[in-house]
Amino acid sequence: MALGASEAIVGRLLLFYRLMVRPLFAEPVRTALTVLAIALGVAVVLAIDLAGFAAAASFRSSMETLAGDNDYEIVATGGVPESVVGKLAQLPYSLRISARMEDYGAIDGNRTFPLLGLDLVAEAQNHADAASAFPLANPEDALKYLGDDESIWVGQSLGYHVGDRVSLLINDRMREYIVRGVFPDDGGNAAAIVMDLAAAQRSLGRTGHVDRILVKVPEKDDGGSSHVASAAEWEQRIRGVKSEGESVTGGQAGAISAGILPESVELRTAGTGTDENRKMLAAFRWNLKLLSYIALVVGAFLIYNTISVSVVRRRAEIGIVRALGASRATVLTAFIGEAASLGLVGSLIGLPLGRVMASGAVKLMSATVEALYVSSRPGAIALGADSIAQALIVGVGVAVASAYSPAREASLVAPIEAMARGRREYIARVHEMRDLVIAIALAICALAASRAPAVAGKPLFGYLATLFVIAASALAMPAVVDLTTRLLTRALGATLGVEASLASQSLSASLRRTSVLVGALSTAIAMMTAVGIMVGSFRETVQLWMNDQVPADLYVRAAGVPAADRHPSLTLELADKIARLPGVAAIDRLRDYEISYESMPAGLASVDLDTRRMYHKGDFLSGRATGEVLNELRGASAVIVSEPFANKHHVGRGDSITLSLGGGKAAFRVVDIYYDYSSERGTVVMDRATALKYLPDPAPSSLAVYISPDASLSDVRHEIENAASAGDHRILTFSNRDLRTQALVIFDRTFAITYALEAVAVLVAVIGVAGALLAVVIDRRRELGLLRFLGAASWQIRKLILVEAGLLGLLATLAGVIQGFALSLILVFVINKQSFGWTIRFHWPVAILLGALTVVYIATVLAGLYPASVAIRLKPIEVVHEE
Amino acid sequence: MPILSLQNVRKDYSTDGQLVRALDGVSLDVEAGQFVALVGRSGCGKSTLLNLAGAMDFPTSGSVLLDGVATSSLKDAELTRLRREKVGFIFQSFQLLHTLTVLGNVELPLLLAGRANAREAAHERLRWVELEALGERYPHQLSGGQMQRVGIARALVHGPKLLLADEPTGNLDTTTGNVILELLRRLSREKNTATVMATHSAEAAALADVMVHLRDGKIENVERR
Repeated sequence: MALGASEAIVGRLLLFYRLMVRPLFAEPVRTALTVLAIALGVAVVLAIDLAGFAAAASFRSSMETLAGDNDYEIVATGGVPESVVGKLAQLPYSLRISARMEDYGAIDGNRTFPLLGLDLVAEAQNHADAASAFPLANPEDALKYLGDDESIWVGQSLGYHVGDRVSLLINDRMREYIVRGVFPDDGGNAAAIVMDLAAAQRSLGRTGHVDRILVKVPEKDDGGSSHVASAAEWEQRIRGVKSEGESVTGGQAGAISAGILPESVELRTAGTGTDENRKMLAAFRWNLKLLSYIALVVGAFLIYNTISVSVVRRRAEIGIVRALGASRATVLTAFIGEAASLGLVGSLIGLPLGRVMASGAVKLMSATVEALYVSSRPGAIALGADSIAQALIVGVGVAVASAYSPAREASLVAPIEAMARGRREYIARVHEMRDLVIAIALAICALAASRAPAVAGKPLFGYLATLFVIAASALAMPAVVDLTTRLLTRALGATLGVEASLASQSLSASLRRTSVLVGALSTAIAMMTAVGIMVGSFRETVQLWMNDQVPADLYVRAAGVPAADRHPSLTLELADKIARLPGVAAIDRLRDYEISYESMPAGLASVDLDTRRMYHKGDFLSGRATGEVLNELRGASAVIVSEPFANKHHVGRGDSITLSLGGGKAAFRVVDIYYDYSSERGTVVMDRATALKYLPDPAPSSLAVYISPDASLSDVRHEIENAASAGDHRILTFSNRDLRTQALVIFDRTFAITYALEAVAVLVAVIGVAGALLAVVIDRRRELGLLRFLGAASWQIRKLILVEAGLLGLLATLAGVIQGFALSLILVFVINKQSFGWTIRFHWPVAILLGALTVVYIATVLAGLYPASVAIRLKPIEVVHEE
Repeated sequence: MPILSLQNVRKDYSTDGQLVRALDGVSLDVEAGQFVALVGRSGCGKSTLLNLAGAMDFPTSGSVLLDGVATSSLKDAELTRLRREKVGFIFQSFQLLHTLTVLGNVELPLLLAGRANAREAAHERLRWVELEALGERYPHQLSGGQMQRVGIARALVHGPKLLLADEPTGNLDTTTGNVILELLRRLSREKNTATVMATHSAEAAALADVMVHLRDGKIENVERR
């Protein structure tokens, strides 16, 4: 019995191979093109997934380096007072406490690594007691060099040996340090520079404060108690708030009653910072991931076309097998199986291709994360079983889903009808009007969806609107193609000759195939156009914004590689010295801090109000004048917030926000919202004088320098650089123009991956056109042969095929640009706004779009070259007489 | 000078490595206005002879002269030009383009040749075959006989000196077939066009001026009337 069943399965598989798989080998080029299209689609999805995971999902904030296993962390804007460490140590619990300084140091001023100040005494004790994961090879060294400001320990991957001297840039100072030890750093994943805590405080100029205190609580209470404290209890204990029913003894009571943690200090679960950053990156990853599916969507059109062609060609064959006893389900399964086979092979090829692409993608994504979000180190690219399974499911799933409709049509073929009418007489039914009505309905749905608000911060309805637009365009395509080719046929015949007229008529005659092809190519072109418009609009907006918001003649910051969350400070004396230099009219001392607001990372900036009011042109959502808004900030508990901050946290003008600063929490009134395109995280800006009340460190992060009208820019720049080197400060100066150029370089690098994704989608579509034209040539070989009998020369056959390719390209370009315009409105005003909170001014990047469309058009026409050469090589006698 | 002259023509094909001799030492002259029928069993070489005569293929040896020009000496572009000017083809299964109207099908050879006044010429040829009223119809709206009339009009549209017809009545019923044959013969005479027709039908062959019997690639017998 079992043997019989297995024989039946083998028999079916054999039949499937003979009837469905073998014909694919008869057209190796076309089959290869279809498989390649799927492979590219799958590869892109996989690459972005792997790269996204490496760049963000496996993301650990650089500051998590050597953090070890802890339960809680204590942080505060501007640093945690050092006294907190002592108070925590006095608590009557076996807490493991580790205070850390956390910043960045740049070796030779260009290779930036986390700089950690650790309590080397604790590290030198039993390693299990140390809060960090810093593997100190010789504990005695730690004590030997304790308090030595020149001693550092470095990760193995940095390539130094014990005794080496290393030039390290910390803030604006370059100093020489001696390597006292090298620790294993997991191939660079935990690369860092370690100093003694006190030495780090001195080097960073932040004595009296630590950046983070890590706390590990015991599993059970001390003294043999079986009580297991809850997380809430531990938080209360660490805060120094007495919980109900808990008694403490004399020595500790003072500490507890006074409260250990100042109001502004935040106690949170260890790793919260990393989680916050991950949350912040979610929108970025989401959008990129969705963009990566475009190539696969285009691939879906092509699978649909391939299976449709297969069904139309084999109608007679289907009729015969149906007459011989095959059920409808068998026919349906056979064609679904054909698509699944193509999907499987494409996915298998896409796997290694995606892995290779991921290496490039992770570099681009990491650079963006670093420039716009947070310092991080990409994890390793891991092609695990889940990624492989996902790629296979996506590839085969898309192939099967897109093949369902033509496969179902095949299953409905009546044996007699197919055998009697034959393939040639069969004209694929296209319900133009019905599809057009549905398309209009979908367009209305797209309009409605585009007006819906975000769902949990994600523009889900925006994505839905784009899907509606793509579907509406696909359904409207038969009517558009029919109308256009009818209108064009006569004109083409008159201008380009009979071959062009024949090409146009041929496209019109095979309306369904033409519509699917135009749909595929136009979807790729539409996405290219939409993203092109979005990026072009964004770039234009940023450029306009920079005209107002980057008014200073020179900008000064500490040397080193910048990142969104790294704010090395300049020595205050240097800032004062620069302010007094001849030719300097005014300086704006800008100070940046990292803060956490509503469990999301954000920026806090302080500015010199007087300078700002004098030189800045306001760009506020309210449209109010700069002076009016800035006046409200002066000496008041008032702030302005950036547009992304306002959108992310739903803050409006006149609202109040509470910030944890210095020793306490303070409420600030939001006097206005300003346009800002420098950071997606959102920024709160206050008067420098106000900020200094809470955060008394006066060192600025950067300076905006305004020079006198009669002074020379290069002379002043030279003077500033001389002043810095005289004081042994390492700084970088940027002219206004340098800064703008640099900003645009970062901008273009950020969107490079977007362009790469678009290019792959267009490549898939062009491959599809080549494959489909090949099918056209094969299906119309009789007609092409007949034309040779009727006097057509080889060049005329070539021209006919190339004009068909050109017409397909033209129709797709026209439809794609219109569709792309609609999609760009959704991208600019809905998806971007809801994801990132930026207001972008709409702008047509005409030159770039024209260039890109021309390249795509030429590629489409060139895609017709191979099918045209196949058409020329057809033997007229054979193809005309074979039927 | 004959319009078509085959001189000791041999044509070999290679099928799966096996050499097949389709024509073997065939010599035949066809004069202007002459109606020649090629008869014989399937595979005797009728279609091969028509293909050689229409400059669609080259002989393995011997020569085919079309209006005095040896086809073997011509390049692809010259052969195309020769076909455009001198030869018209009529097929058993009509071979009309379904995307074109009747008029579009008839004028196609002239358009491909870049000739002027194609539409007027097409109208006139449709008048010859008595289909001028159906010019705007599509092939699927016609009967078999009407489709073959369109095929004849198309074959004559450029005023060829030689008309090659491969089983022109093979897909038609007897009555319609006879009407088509009569039409073909009448036009051949009126326009002084040489016609070579391959046929299985003895009735069809009986209308010809010359009947050429082919057997195994050789001319077995030539009957002149």
